[in-house]
Amino acid sequence: MSPLDDALIPRGSSSPPSGASPEAVQDASADARASATSASTPAPASGGPLLRVEDLRVSYTTEDGLVQAVDGISYELAPGRTLGIVGESGSGKTVAALSVLGLTRAEGASVSGRIDFSGHGDLLSLPEPRLRAIRGNEIAMVFQDPLSSLHPMYRVGAQIVEAIRAHREIAKAAARARAIELLDLVGIPEPSVRVDAYPHELSGGQRQRAMIAMALSGEPKLLIADEPTTALDVTVQAQILALLSRLQHERGMALVLVTHDLGVVAEMADEIAVMYAGRIVERAPTKRIFEVPEHPYTWGLLRSIPTLDGPREELLTPIPGSPPSPLALPPGCRFHPRCPYSTPEHARTDPALEPVPGQPDHEVACLLDPAERRRLWRELG
Amino acid sequence: MSAEETGMGSEAPGTSSAGPLLEVRGLTKHFPIDRGVMRRRNLGSVRAVEEVSFEVLRGETFGIVGESGSGKSTTARLIARLLEPSAGEVRFEGREITGLHGRDLKPVRRELQMVFQDPYSSLNPRKTIGSIVAEPLVVHRVESDRAARTRAVQELLETVGLNPEHYNRYPHEFSGGQRQRVGIARALALGPKLLIADEPVSALDVSIQAQVLNLLRDLRRRLGLTMVFISHDLSVIRHMCDRIAVMHEGRIVELASNSQLYSAPRESYTRELLAAVPGARRVTGRTIPA
Repeated sequence: MSPLDDALIPRGSSSPPSGASPEAVQDASADARASATSASTPAPASGGPLLRVEDLRVSYTTEDGLVQAVDGISYELAPGRTLGIVGESGSGKTVAALSVLGLTRAEGASVSGRIDFSGHGDLLSLPEPRLRAIRGNEIAMVFQDPLSSLHPMYRVGAQIVEAIRAHREIAKAAARARAIELLDLVGIPEPSVRVDAYPHELSGGQRQRAMIAMALSGEPKLLIADEPTTALDVTVQAQILALLSRLQHERGMALVLVTHDLGVVAEMADEIAVMYAGRIVERAPTKRIFEVPEHPYTWGLLRSIPTLDGPREELLTPIPGSPPSPLALPPGCRFHPRCPYSTPEHARTDPALEPVPGQPDHEVACLLDPAERRRLWRELG
Repeated sequence: MSAEETGMGSEAPGTSSAGPLLEVRGLTKHFPIDRGVMRRRNLGSVRAVEEVSFEVLRGETFGIVGESGSGKSTTARLIARLLEPSAGEVRFEGREITGLHGRDLKPVRRELQMVFQDPYSSLNPRKTIGSIVAEPLVVHRVESDRAARTRAVQELLETVGLNPEHYNRYPHEFSGGQRQRVGIARALALGPKLLIADEPVSALDVSIQAQVLNLLRDLRRRLGLTMVFISHDLSVIRHMCDRIAVMHEGRIVELASNSQLYSAPRESYTRELLAAVPGARRVTGRTIPA
């Protein structure tokens, strides 16, 4: 299939509204899978990117020393597209996304680099009041645990009303009507009743829906979702993912999806950035990450997850050792102590993230020879 | 149709010896809901586990899969006698263990050990790894000689892939995966016949999960362990288990062999669960195009 054919398929145009019946869940996840397949081509060139992060560095001074949480990462996101940032705990994936919201400024963090967003210039150098006007409005966020973001003592509707009125002059009654509309949009049954519920009166999935409704109140161009489904059961997770991709298609919203779960990004993302020890070690269209991954760490991740249809009797191939402490990062390639293909040279040279020969949209930070890498992956696959 | 299709595998080693290792019959647990501080009023009960029955054959890994609130962890705790059932019975090697208490229960505890989800909260931070692993030996007075006990602990650490010289270190010096190995070593200390593992890898990073899953499979083979393996993760269950019970709202809705469950699930709830696994096809279909 040529990229052109792919581009002609409207993404997820047939997504059904997320329903509660098992059939709807099945359809929705099947649909999301279908749309993921058709979503692996680059965005049509319509102007510049919505978001451009350049050489972002975030470090914290702690009692134990300097923690380099994010160490020189760059990425771009076009309007309406989805970037999946994948990594294990401590890889810097959350910091990489939250810095866009200016949420890493506090608490003695030192931040450098550049974050351009939608004609606002560099977000990192914007004064806090201007950033606050963008945050929650043009850029919104959804976190893993809705209970930590929803105030337990206030009714859900009141919190959405507050979010709406924080950013625009609108009467209370109109804001309440808008809140009910938003709850309906995210698939909460009986929204005109549920608007008066307290967070604890909603199920985990409904709370996450309410969080998403609140995030949508400012009609964001960019939604940042940090492990949005990690705390949820698998059937509820499927509903929330289907909801996110439906909203995205309807509103042309770009999405940065931060997760440890390769299955989730496989379904949702157009492009994936794999993070390890504060760096992006590989970045490519989703299809390529799963079919022709280039970094030995990505290989390790793919080979260490059990699957639903792979050979069952084989042992998994774990990545030896553990991720390095951000207080004591290894010299050279940060993955070299765990890499089965590393040479003494790899402990001295720090690889840059560079395009794979002939694949400008596929970047990898690896010191192995490209032909050698291809041969190794063919042997593993 | 092989024996496997019926769910009762002939593949499990040692099935020829006397009967199943564990029999669970009509196991039920209701948690009462009480209100009021001065005067307790009973407001009914939560039916956590309802009439659950299954058998675990010697040498097999029996899986229990379900979502939160399905009753899978309560079932594990009932079998391990960490909770008292409201009704039903649990037989271990043919012997009813639900009525046992105190001194009568102790020998059963030796044979039936548990591994928990959270390697961070299940290890006492003030004790060394050595004394954590040695604790069951002390409690059950297995090795009274100190030197022999240290040797036993070091052997256990080696069995689970930890450096035996680290026995005098503290839990915080270990990573999550290593701590889970400590938990497994402690569970193995008394040479149990049955290991109940409740979400043993859910708190671990992807690259570490595989290390612990491989360890459990290896131990099962080397030590002839029988295992009850509980997880919400269908891929992990498929990788580990011979026969699987799917739990939903306190009941077993489907019990089948691994191949039956994943290739031809009978119940709509099981199909719904399988369909909801994100990216299932994409992750598995990672072949290189020509």
